[in-house]
Amino acid sequence: MSFKKQLEQRLPHWIEQGWLSFDGAAHILDDVAGGEHHGPRYLTLAFSLLGVILFGAGIITFFAANWAAMPKLLKLAVLFSALWGSYALAGVFERRDLPLLAGAMLLLGVILFGSNIMLIAQIYHISAHYPDGVMVWALGGVLVAWLMRSQPAMVAALGLGVLWTGLESQGFGRAVHWPFLLFLAVSVPAVLRYRWRIALHVALASLLLWSWFAFMAMSSWGRGSSAAIYLVQVYFLAYLALFIGGMLLHIRDGWQALAHTVQRYAAFAALGCLYLLTFPQLLRVTRDGAEFWWLATAAALLLVVALAGWHYRSHAASARPRFLNWGLGLLGAVIVLLLANLAAERQSAGVLALLFNVVYFLGLLWLLQAAVHLENRVLVNMAFFYFAVTLLTRYFDTFWSLMDRSLFFMGGGLLLLGGGYWLERQRRRLTRQIAVHGDGAA
Amino acid sequence: MKLSYRLLIIVVIQTLVLAGMVAKRQWTLATGTPVVLETRPVDPRSLFRGDYVTFNYDISRLNLQALDGDDDFSRHDVVYVVLEPGEPYWRPRAVYHAPPAGQVTLRGTVQYAGEHWWNPETGNNEAVRHVTVRYGIEDYFVPEGEGRALERPVADETISLRVAVDRFGNGAIQALLINGVERYRETLF
Repeated sequence: MSFKKQLEQRLPHWIEQGWLSFDGAAHILDDVAGGEHHGPRYLTLAFSLLGVILFGAGIITFFAANWAAMPKLLKLAVLFSALWGSYALAGVFERRDLPLLAGAMLLLGVILFGSNIMLIAQIYHISAHYPDGVMVWALGGVLVAWLMRSQPAMVAALGLGVLWTGLESQGFGRAVHWPFLLFLAVSVPAVLRYRWRIALHVALASLLLWSWFAFMAMSSWGRGSSAAIYLVQVYFLAYLALFIGGMLLHIRDGWQALAHTVQRYAAFAALGCLYLLTFPQLLRVTRDGAEFWWLATAAALLLVVALAGWHYRSHAASARPRFLNWGLGLLGAVIVLLLANLAAERQSAGVLALLFNVVYFLGLLWLLQAAVHLENRVLVNMAFFYFAVTLLTRYFDTFWSLMDRSLFFMGGGLLLLGGGYWLERQRRRLTRQIAVHGDGAA
Repeated sequence: MKLSYRLLIIVVIQTLVLAGMVAKRQWTLATGTPVVLETRPVDPRSLFRGDYVTFNYDISRLNLQALDGDDDFSRHDVVYVVLEPGEPYWRPRAVYHAPPAGQVTLRGTVQYAGEHWWNPETGNNEAVRHVTVRYGIEDYFVPEGEGRALERPVADETISLRVAVDRFGNGAIQALLINGVERYRETLF
């Protein structure tokens, strides 16, 4: 049922109770109806964007098919005038207050800039390192996004950035493609400044993807076979720092929606890392390269502690929520455990894994409290998801070799049924609690 | 900032980037020393960019032990290959990390560095320090449908390329030769 229909059903009761005047109810319905009329605008946007993409693809294939028939100078003239024409039209539409069409023309300009790079490379037989062409294309998109405040251009640029780093790290075997972080450093300030939520999703997803590529390359660094385990620790701390960064953003007026998005991606990645550290099998590697990772761990730790301290101090003692206090205690326990893991030998893997499990489950409980306080429903769902996955994992770990197979599966089935029911009830209770207080995140 | 200024900045910067690509290639074609290189064509099709031929040059794989210069290269290193005239093809004489002065030098990037290679003449895997280099002149676009003909030359047909090499080591294909006769020639504009 749509929001408007729900209101139409509830408003007479509210008028009857005297909570709302008849005129007030009519104004509310008018306002909501006006808001629902935004639908066709999005349809216009969707058609414009689709048209732009089809037109851009048509231009590329037209040139591919008529490659031989045109002299070089004519090809260049067509390429440049198409590029200039799209930006000129964007200006015209902007002046005539047609922002959707102007945005579509800007996106066409970005597409044409990239197709021109490819076609000029074709005309002049340039076959040099082609990810460079994708990088230049992406930077062209960032330029348009910054100057014209165009979110579609930024989304396109970030997508191209992902393609660039994917080509460099996977196609050309760059160990760790650090320049992508510079690319994000010039893109993300615009995303934050103009509060672009879709672009922020793409930027954070691209950061996660880049860090996966980097993980694959860095896990062989240093001596010994334990690099991956230490690297997971550094990654956990880095994403924890990002999560705390999201909490800092949350306490600034008007930034809650963006803060929610940052917290979700950061929590997803940090929990994933901590989850890996709960496996004794993974911790039981030969420990002979830890000294290589002390510096990276220490740097990440400093960052986490500094951000946590900043966040803690930004609340007056009287207004400080309880979950922050025990969160700091939990952070201290995690730090001690991470350092112990750096200093430990493989024989201690069992004890360490047990302690990591304890910290992990406490962390999930803390996240639930934090999610309610931050009014972030997705974090509640995420905590329950990780809780369920880890519960099942531990069940398999622990009972697979101990129980008769039929008992194991029956027990697992009951655990799924009973645990799933209980978890779902708890999840619904908490998300309802957040909904009552008003969830800033859509 | 006014809308027209913002659009102008975008147009100027993007145009300069594209014009820079054109100008750099044109400058190499106009001022470079022409060298003829032996080659074998492979792989003739690009989905979006029409027909093209990828060339595997005789200088694409270099035996470092048989050449002067440096011999400690790894993947992604930039190399400068000194060429000397031969009959009918130019041959590599030395390989360096830095560009040597006053010689015809082609700039490339190491794709692979290895200690062993397979010798087709002896049929053995031999201990030879070598590098595979990409120079940015490996692709040549031809009219639709002609790529496959170049990929599979008829018997006794030899394909070579005349490449302009500028003083910075950049190469640009000037002409494609079949049995030493020009089949395709690149012109200024």
